[in-house]
Amino acid sequence: MSDIKEIPPNTLMAFGIVGGLLGIYLTYILPLAGDAVGGPVKDLLTTIAPAAGALGGMCAIVWGAEAVRRVAKYGLGTGVPSIGQIAMGMGIVAAMFGLAIVKELTLAGPIVALVTASVIGLIIGWFAQNVIKMKIPVMIRCMTEIAAAGSLIIIGFSAAVAGTFEFSKLIPLVFDNGFMLAVFWVGAMALLHPFNAVLGPDEKQKRLLYLAFSTGAITMAVTGIAGIMTLGNAGIFTLLVGVVLWLIFYKKFWDEVYKDAAAVVGTGLIPKTEA
Amino acid sequence: MVLDLTMSMAILAFMGALATIAGCLEDLESDVGSQSNPNSQVQLAPQMGFLHRIYNKAVSGEPVSNGMSAVIGGTVTTVLLNEKFFVMTAIALGALVAALIYGIYATTSYAGRVASQARFKQPLYMDIMRYTTPSIIAHNFIVVFCLVSLAYIQAQILAPAHPFSIPFLALIWGITVGAIGSSVGDVHYGAEREYQNREFGCGLNTALSGRIVRRAESGLRNSIDNVWFCAKFGGPVTGIALGLTVFLSSWPTTVFGYTWLAIGVGIAIVVVMTILNRLLEVNVKNAYGPYKEEKNEKEASA
Amino acid sequence: MVALDPATLINVLLIAISGTLVCIAVHFIPVGGAPAAMAQATGIGTGTVELAAGSGLVGLITASAMYAIPSVQSDPNVMALVLAAGAMGSMIMIASTMLSGSLIYAYGVGVPFASAQVKKDPITGARQDLYMSKGTQGQGLPTVCFVSGIIGAALGGIGGALIYYVLVGIYSTSTLIGGSAAAVAGVFTMGVFYVNSVVPSYGVGGTIEGFHDPKFRRVLPKDAVTSFVVSALCGILAILIAGGF
Repeated sequence: MSDIKEIPPNTLMAFGIVGGLLGIYLTYILPLAGDAVGGPVKDLLTTIAPAAGALGGMCAIVWGAEAVRRVAKYGLGTGVPSIGQIAMGMGIVAAMFGLAIVKELTLAGPIVALVTASVIGLIIGWFAQNVIKMKIPVMIRCMTEIAAAGSLIIIGFSAAVAGTFEFSKLIPLVFDNGFMLAVFWVGAMALLHPFNAVLGPDEKQKRLLYLAFSTGAITMAVTGIAGIMTLGNAGIFTLLVGVVLWLIFYKKFWDEVYKDAAAVVGTGLIPKTEA
Repeated sequence: MVLDLTMSMAILAFMGALATIAGCLEDLESDVGSQSNPNSQVQLAPQMGFLHRIYNKAVSGEPVSNGMSAVIGGTVTTVLLNEKFFVMTAIALGALVAALIYGIYATTSYAGRVASQARFKQPLYMDIMRYTTPSIIAHNFIVVFCLVSLAYIQAQILAPAHPFSIPFLALIWGITVGAIGSSVGDVHYGAEREYQNREFGCGLNTALSGRIVRRAESGLRNSIDNVWFCAKFGGPVTGIALGLTVFLSSWPTTVFGYTWLAIGVGIAIVVVMTILNRLLEVNVKNAYGPYKEEKNEKEASA
Repeated sequence: MVALDPATLINVLLIAISGTLVCIAVHFIPVGGAPAAMAQATGIGTGTVELAAGSGLVGLITASAMYAIPSVQSDPNVMALVLAAGAMGSMIMIASTMLSGSLIYAYGVGVPFASAQVKKDPITGARQDLYMSKGTQGQGLPTVCFVSGIIGAALGGIGGALIYYVLVGIYSTSTLIGGSAAAVAGVFTMGVFYVNSVVPSYGVGGTIEGFHDPKFRRVLPKDAVTSFVVSALCGILAILIAGGF
């Protein structure tokens, strides 16, 4: 693992934040642009806009999964899923706070949510490191990153289900019918499954990133199914894009598995070892 | 709809039965995929040089993964019910989608974990992948079908209806079934089946970690053999646990109304269970006897 | 911004207390982690987060069902009734789980129950060390662990129900959220619940036997303080969402 160049954490953080926010804002802006133009362009833009939010959520998932990898390599003692769950728990409170508190300044919502989640993540990371004394060097930075990624994931995929991130519209379209729980939980799984699934001494970053893209695509497909009920055609579009992306990244993941595994055999007996 | 007491009790009993099936199948699904805590031994075995043909599924722990498939099932069911599908069809299709996604997660975990154990020369057996994954999907389908039906009954049939939506209730029951399956049935798999060639009647000695059974009664051990064994005891007991939870948490309020009397009855049930545990503890201690004798007697083995 | 009136401050305090209750509950529930699933350690064979969350969420179901009844809402003791309902649901779940787990240990694995942390069970006075099998740290669920688990479940159920009760009360009077109060409050309860389940599991390190375990006295104070601060923060955010309109 030491001779292969790994993508540095800051690059992935930039990818997550920029990609996430870009996708989220496109979901809001594209329909407005379509309204201004009118005609068939308007229908087209309204149909493809929610998928942008889901793609933004996917970028945040990849960022978060890599941050989970960095902190979990030190051995958390309680398992990898716990850090994903605490991040999503914080992420949902911070995300909704950020979107609701801005009232008329709707565009500021995601940024406020991102900052709030980072601050809470910083505080919890500080407590974990200094009060509970977990003694993990990267704990504070990674907890902040995972919480921020969590909030972007929730806003991105909620926007994909509701077509916007205005809080007043999120309530009937995402909270009432329970789809927020799907966003919360499937997003949390997408965040913490990649590292948990490739845990082992020969774990490679490339395989993990492809798996993170793949789980993100599955989340996108699920939000697409939910979007069929709330948005109609836009949901079908999101679902199709999600399935296509999943096929691409799942194949790439399997290519890496064939390359990395000791042997991939059709069947066989247990090979003889020294034990 | 307004329900009288008889109908409410009938529906409650039906809910208990659904929960029992879901609990049993959830535990068996975690045995056929080797998930959660006993999987740590399956993960450890190649490191100690014991290569194996067991499916190494590590999908973030049972509560999280069963919660995920339950909430996906609930979401798809809600969408289909909104399109005026018949209830049973909607729940079945929702469970199918959820189980397929769950199967995908399982394959990535087996492939990913084995690929990360390359230095121990553990091979990735594609025939294990091919015939165990459909079994996992089938078990999970039944679990999600039962849980989403449970959520549907609570949200739409029982009167008064529960304030939470179908995906939310399905998620909570999914987390609960995972927690129960992880606590109850996995012990039968981990302490008994994984180390079946050791003497019966003792806990696992720490020195034996990683030395799981790999050569079975006839041929090499795989996960289908494991689930066959656990279906005889571990699965049903897990089903009883979830069935009791679902039934007894709703029974007092259905029969005695939403009053302090119902709370009192609930607490009395808990006290009865505590006494039952104590009776079990005494019975087992007297039946099996201690591992070592008191001070100046010779050490007797179990 | 919301005026700092006494009612809001009391609500923030209640949410902070309920988060701390959840944190304390996790220390009571006897969890042995992966070793317990192999009958190598005393306690239930699962993770701390999972079991606390599972029992607390069943408590949330029973508490929210209780709160939705009109005759309960007009009852003067409504808060006590809702909290008791939450505790009852949570306790029943843990009791069923522990009893069934005991059945497996007793007849599936064939081991007597023994605790590794004490020589005699504090409640029943039974000897423990003679019944520990070789090379293990105890196995099964002796009576003290069972009772400790019940207490923990009660605290966790009360904590979860209290967060839900406070939030649904605030959100039903908010102009924006109004009718969807149960749905939004339920989601936030889950979020705060999970944060407060993971914090003590970091402190405990994955396994604890209950209130008789020496680890209990050692880690409880710092975990409780962390939970109090974090829950107060989350509480302020959750209340501002409704108060901001």
